[in-house]
Amino acid sequence: MIEITINGKKCTCEKGEFLLDVARRNGFYIPTLCHHPAISGQACCRVCLVEVVEKGRSKIVVSCVYPVERPCEVYTDSERVKEDRAVVLMLLKERAPESDVIDALCKAYGAADGSRFAAIDGEKCIMCGLCAGACAKLGTGAISTVLRGTAKKISTPYDEPSKDCVGCLSCAYICPTKAITFKDDGQTREVWGRTFEIVHCRECGAPVGTREEIALAARRAGEEPEELCPTCRKKKMTDIMAHTYGIV
Amino acid sequence: MEVSEKRIEEIIHSYQPDRRYALAIMQDMQREFQYVPREGMEALAEELQCPVSSLYAMATFYKALSLVPKGKHIIKCCDGTACHIRGASTLIDGIRRELKIGPGETTQDGMFSLETVNCLGSCALAPVLVVDDVYYGKVTLEKLKEIIQGVKEGGAE
Repeated sequence: MIEITINGKKCTCEKGEFLLDVARRNGFYIPTLCHHPAISGQACCRVCLVEVVEKGRSKIVVSCVYPVERPCEVYTDSERVKEDRAVVLMLLKERAPESDVIDALCKAYGAADGSRFAAIDGEKCIMCGLCAGACAKLGTGAISTVLRGTAKKISTPYDEPSKDCVGCLSCAYICPTKAITFKDDGQTREVWGRTFEIVHCRECGAPVGTREEIALAARRAGEEPEELCPTCRKKKMTDIMAHTYGIV
Repeated sequence: MEVSEKRIEEIIHSYQPDRRYALAIMQDMQREFQYVPREGMEALAEELQCPVSSLYAMATFYKALSLVPKGKHIIKCCDGTACHIRGASTLIDGIRRELKIGPGETTQDGMFSLETVNCLGSCALAPVLVVDDVYYGKVTLEKLKEIIQGVKEGGAE
């Protein structure tokens, strides 16, 4: 156990725990964009920076990947943090001027003057790669970061509609700036240049997901694909259990 | 060499089916075909049981790998510090005029590709041009025309 202070409050944590997790557990809000508990170690948006004072020396660290090694004092809102975060937010705003989320962060925390940079017109993406990570983990790895440097972007191979995509929208759901566009009218879903048919629950008619998505889930679970929504599936399971134990 | 399914299979099977060899296999394809063909990448993804997107990300990241066929003759124009100062950009403009291609492009007839490199270690010869592994030093625009003409005639033989 290590004892640290965050904004003056004494907190305890395990050695090696990330600072962001410790702070959040103790009720300190640190803004983040690219952090997601399920996909770790992106550490590219830099919004979560905080000031750490160790042995009388102060430094700015990225809290989402900073492991606590020894007692220290942490400040999540010091002058230095405010100043540095304003620069980070300004750069993110120039990168993705269309994003409402970044706009809100800039309003809440203040952004430095970015007039010397040329904003990228119509851009929302901050290239954090969470979508590619989510696709690899939950979907099929249909998208990835392609090219590099200023040309880097998120795309499918050869910029073509991907054969691998199942239309699960994990990418759009996890995106912190809502940069991934899709259409969903309840009957069909369009994402990454492909159109998917939406399957409805055979019991109650609620939308379940795309046919490909259901097939993938069933394949992973080693079961037959079933067109049931979560509620009706639960109902079916309880019916089976009730029957097994002779309640009904 | 012409892209063939047989040759692709041979390259893939010369390595263990492990994802850490993906880059080496694609480099071998690049060496063999002058580019990484789409069939090759798809076959490799199948063999390694990984998504095509992860190989595509790798192939677009590394400059050494190309996704489009390269020309028969590859012109490497050094644009390192010494060559740049000695007028490498004039040479690149000259090539653009002569062959209508910029860095990273290939002529319509598939004869020439132009690449810029950052230093060839022959700064005393600046500006340096390498055509099919033959070095040309202290190249001027006049010399450039002769070099291209020479390669064209040599290639026609």
